[in-house]
Amino acid sequence: MKRIFLNWKAFTLITLTAGLFTACDTDDAVKEIENGTDSRWITVAAARMGENPGDGNGGTLIYSVSAEDAKDPSISIEPFDNGFIVPSNRTARLQSSQDGNTIFNISYAGDTGGNYTKYTVNGGQNFAQTGSAVSIEPYVGSAPRWIKLFDGDQTGAAVYVSTENEISDNDTPDDATDDFYLRTEAKMGIVTLDLENSLIKEFQEHSISLSDELESQGYYIGRIDMPTLNAAGDKLYIGARLSKVDPTTGERDRNAEMLESRSIVLDYPSLLNPTVIISEVGTGNTNGYRSINAFEYNGSVYQANQSDPQGSHILKIGADNKYDDSYVFNLDDALGIEGAYILAWRPAANGKAVVAYRHDGSAEGVAGAQGFFALVDLNAKTAQKINDIPYDPDFYLFQYQGFVVDGNDIYVTQAPVGENGNIYVVDTETGEVTKGAELVNVEGSHFIGVF
Amino acid sequence: MKQKILLLFFIIPFAVAAQYDLSGFIQDTNGYVVLGTQIKLSGGSLSRTKTVNGSGKYEFKDLPSGTFNLEITSGDYIEFDQVVITDVDVRHDIQLKNHKDYELEEVALRGESAKSKMEKKGFALNVIKTDEAAQRNIQTNELLNTSVGVKIRQNGGLGSNVEYSLNGLSGSAVRIFIDGIPISTFGSSYNLNSIPPSMIERIEVYKGVVPGYLSDDALGGAINIVLNQATNTNFNASVSYGSFNTLQASVNGLYRFDGSGFTVKASGFHNYSDNDYKVSGRSVVITGLGGVQTPITARRFNDAYRSTGGLVQVGFTDVKWADQFFVGFNGSEDYNEVQHGAFMTTRPYKGRFYESDASLANLIYQKEDLFIKGFDVNVNGYYGKRNRQLSDTVAQAYSWNGEPAVDFRGNEYEYTWGSQQEGGPTLAKIERNVTSVRTGLAYAFNKNHKVLANHVFSSIDRQDSDALRSVLENTFVGTRDLRKNIFALTYEFSAFDNRLQASLFGKYYQQKTINVDPKIETDAAGNNQLVDEVISSNKTYNGYGFALSYAVLPNITLLASAEKAVRLPNETEIFGNDGDNVVANYSINPEQSKNYNLGFRLGTFNLNKNQFGVSANLFTRNIKDRIGLPIETSLNVDEELIVYVNQGSGNSKGFDAQFNYSYDNNFGVNFNISKFDLKIENRGVEIDVPNTPFLTMNGNLRYSFKDLIQEKSRLNLFYTLYYTGEFSYLVPQGSNTVGDDFFKVPEQLAQDIGVSYAFPGNNFVMSFDVKNIFDKPVYDNLSVQKPGRAFYLKLNYSINKF
Repeated sequence: MKRIFLNWKAFTLITLTAGLFTACDTDDAVKEIENGTDSRWITVAAARMGENPGDGNGGTLIYSVSAEDAKDPSISIEPFDNGFIVPSNRTARLQSSQDGNTIFNISYAGDTGGNYTKYTVNGGQNFAQTGSAVSIEPYVGSAPRWIKLFDGDQTGAAVYVSTENEISDNDTPDDATDDFYLRTEAKMGIVTLDLENSLIKEFQEHSISLSDELESQGYYIGRIDMPTLNAAGDKLYIGARLSKVDPTTGERDRNAEMLESRSIVLDYPSLLNPTVIISEVGTGNTNGYRSINAFEYNGSVYQANQSDPQGSHILKIGADNKYDDSYVFNLDDALGIEGAYILAWRPAANGKAVVAYRHDGSAEGVAGAQGFFALVDLNAKTAQKINDIPYDPDFYLFQYQGFVVDGNDIYVTQAPVGENGNIYVVDTETGEVTKGAELVNVEGSHFIGVF
Repeated sequence: MKQKILLLFFIIPFAVAAQYDLSGFIQDTNGYVVLGTQIKLSGGSLSRTKTVNGSGKYEFKDLPSGTFNLEITSGDYIEFDQVVITDVDVRHDIQLKNHKDYELEEVALRGESAKSKMEKKGFALNVIKTDEAAQRNIQTNELLNTSVGVKIRQNGGLGSNVEYSLNGLSGSAVRIFIDGIPISTFGSSYNLNSIPPSMIERIEVYKGVVPGYLSDDALGGAINIVLNQATNTNFNASVSYGSFNTLQASVNGLYRFDGSGFTVKASGFHNYSDNDYKVSGRSVVITGLGGVQTPITARRFNDAYRSTGGLVQVGFTDVKWADQFFVGFNGSEDYNEVQHGAFMTTRPYKGRFYESDASLANLIYQKEDLFIKGFDVNVNGYYGKRNRQLSDTVAQAYSWNGEPAVDFRGNEYEYTWGSQQEGGPTLAKIERNVTSVRTGLAYAFNKNHKVLANHVFSSIDRQDSDALRSVLENTFVGTRDLRKNIFALTYEFSAFDNRLQASLFGKYYQQKTINVDPKIETDAAGNNQLVDEVISSNKTYNGYGFALSYAVLPNITLLASAEKAVRLPNETEIFGNDGDNVVANYSINPEQSKNYNLGFRLGTFNLNKNQFGVSANLFTRNIKDRIGLPIETSLNVDEELIVYVNQGSGNSKGFDAQFNYSYDNNFGVNFNISKFDLKIENRGVEIDVPNTPFLTMNGNLRYSFKDLIQEKSRLNLFYTLYYTGEFSYLVPQGSNTVGDDFFKVPEQLAQDIGVSYAFPGNNFVMSFDVKNIFDKPVYDNLSVQKPGRAFYLKLNYSINKF
């Protein structure tokens, strides 16, 4: 009898204690929301493991804290346990408003692929969906390559390219031996989306050609992404990747030589008159991956390139809407490394940027090459690895998407796959790095940035 | 389940050697013909089976004098009988007794139905009888789905894509056969969507452990469709019509010339459905100016399905040199519209469809006791062509209301990619030459020891083309050919008066895949020549296993089985895939799994008029070397470096259980439940496999009335319930996350009711079924809605005397 009584006491104690903890949690949440009014929200994005460690296919979770909390290393953030799961079958490509109060998402793949939704950030896991539903799937497919333009959070743009080989049958439709390859037609579609009113703004389709010489060799634009608005607001630049077919067989040529970096330039907002501009500086692709790859700064647009045999460059497109080949900024040279590859980057208004990269010397971790952050100066064309952030072989940045720019400060997330990490705040002016809130991870998973 | 035992001796005192006929009528105690009753005669080297239809008469011709055993089975009922023929035609009427009449005899002697016998051999096996389903509006896939441990996931209505799951393993881990021939020989026009239950004798579902005679690289189990086996003259036809303009018709007939044994066998089917059932949900919207969406309830409008096919065989049955010898032709074709891709999105398809056809020659030879007693031979071979064409050339966008869609400006428009599915217009055609031969030899040393040798050869030569692509491009499309040889050696023995039954088997797998890639080569004279670059990969592996059963008491049987199973890498996994930028990996290993089953069967117990039985099975599947693609990284995103690799392990653990109860032949209940945990492990991290329904239950009730409307008629009422537990498309999330609902496939409960009425004389049976009576939204896959409430009426006609 006594024993039962003791157990009962223990039970009561535990219940009361648990109740107190629960009450504390609630207070914290209230405090956070109050804090949100005088500083911006920092929304942490985390990608849960699907089938393979680091694949990020098990759901994209977001969780918001105040900037003060984000900077506080005594705070722990657990998006995997407490977050909001963004409705996207595969890793969502998120965007946020410049003030951090709104999160924009276009669902990637699955039954709602192409659906645009936006959420008001209310702190914690509380994201209130606002606006009506609209889908860009009819224009650019269910796995859209979209990005928010820097026009005061008004517009999103998404692109699509479809290709078809053009073959001449030499007027002998039944005889294959005298057929020859002409070119590959690359047809692009571009749609702009009114982010405020959830409406489609404009859509255009164009055939994109290269020079006759390149086309006869089998080159064509096989992938496009990352539309960026110029400073004048009258042109869009779209990153591109060249592919090549073997003209003798019409099959994909896997050993094609990398050509000069290119971008497509279009009139904005009409989305008409496409032309292709060519860099004499960089070689390789300009279409990025999941994170914005080109930014306007001081009247020009700075664009990273990838898969450059000389290592990634940051290229400059001048106010004349052409590559400025007098601007040469090579990350290999600036960092003194080989095979630099810019995975994601973001400049602050002072022309200094944080770059996420890997290079030939990166360790091979559980989910691919180890990633690093560097602080670069677009004006001085210098770069320095940020050594105050810890690096682990399992820390990878290929899927990295989000940087928050708050004045001269840039927020990033750091956590190796499956291990806890932190938010870090880089003062781009001084180079000082502040360790912020702890990021609590789960097995096989990683963080893809802050918004 | 009931077992009826009867032992009778007919002694007719004459003795002259010649050939005689045995015939008679089979009726139940009330004088009714019992439809679908089979009678098997055996004795000496003879073994023949007849099905009793219509009039209730059976007949065996040209028998020598001697003593013959008769095994009379009807559904789960069985009786044994013995006849001695000496010198004169014998008429032997059989009156099946009601259960209560022979309880005493049962103690002395027990018999079992073929179903029960097979299920007690030790394998984790379901034998699904089709008799009842054949008379109702039930498709083969629906029938299979109610079987324990089997889950069917279908992407829509009749004819739509189906995935089969056995104890949690699915996709290429489950192999499907028709009469022991891999279903890949037949293609999509002749499969479980098109073959009606009336053409099927039974369906065998082997979970985890597959006997030698069904050898294929079945990692998780096998489903074998056994087509009608009876060799007596009979004819039946049925037609069913119902909701969504669904028409299903089938004809089966066999005529045997009793003098010569010459037999003609034919069957045919035709299925059609508009599948224009109503759908709604988050993606079923119409889009207006600016892209503004309005949710609607829509009827599917591009989902029609049509399949037609048949089988004609001529040959000899029950003659001295063969129990069955047939040469035949099997032809089928289908047309299948595609309403959407893997998911229902805001963009329904119009004008995308598949057409398939298959033409196959067929040879069957079966003989028991060939040359010497105890030596059995069977050969079953198919050779022919099958083709599949995909058409998607409509660029115009359509809306869920079936009308052309408008863009944000309000104008009709065409998709940038020029087709319904992203990826561009296509008329992709795959032509295949297929061969598949199954050979089985068995020798029984005596009653207790038997050795079986089986071999399956299958070959697929494949040629791809696309009429929308240039001749040049089509010329350089590679071909992939596949040759598989699988040998199995089985030793079966029984002991302790059959209480212990065991089967040990070893399998040898050999697979050759050939990749032929045309290339241009410049010869010595400087001329360009087209040459074929041929790369082949030859892989051999071994597997082995056993099945064991032990009857502790006559109605308590323990069963255990285990197999080291493999799944050989397919041609894409070996050679890669140009379209997906995947390159070849010649050193890839097969997926392997160690599968274990442990179960018991209790029953059938009889208590007055009550009968019941329970069975259960515990299983584990331990997979290693799972084949998959590694993750995309900055190193492989541009360069084509991705290869399929053996990248981890996995396991499925769970149980199946089944309960049967019946009362006085009039009332029957079946219930089954299946639950499992499926986990995979990659690089040391284990996860619960998402998008897997892990809990399923099925139940059904049957009640029979006799003489309710007319004398000698029978009215059956049916009720079926399907339950699938909630599951998520995403891996399990944290304890306190929000937004999970978006990915959930909710718990589902669908209920069907049906009634069938057998007119006096049993030649006509009429059935009426209502599926999904409460019109619940049903999903097998995330957001892909299946048909709601539907009504079907079916007429069956059968005779067995012309």
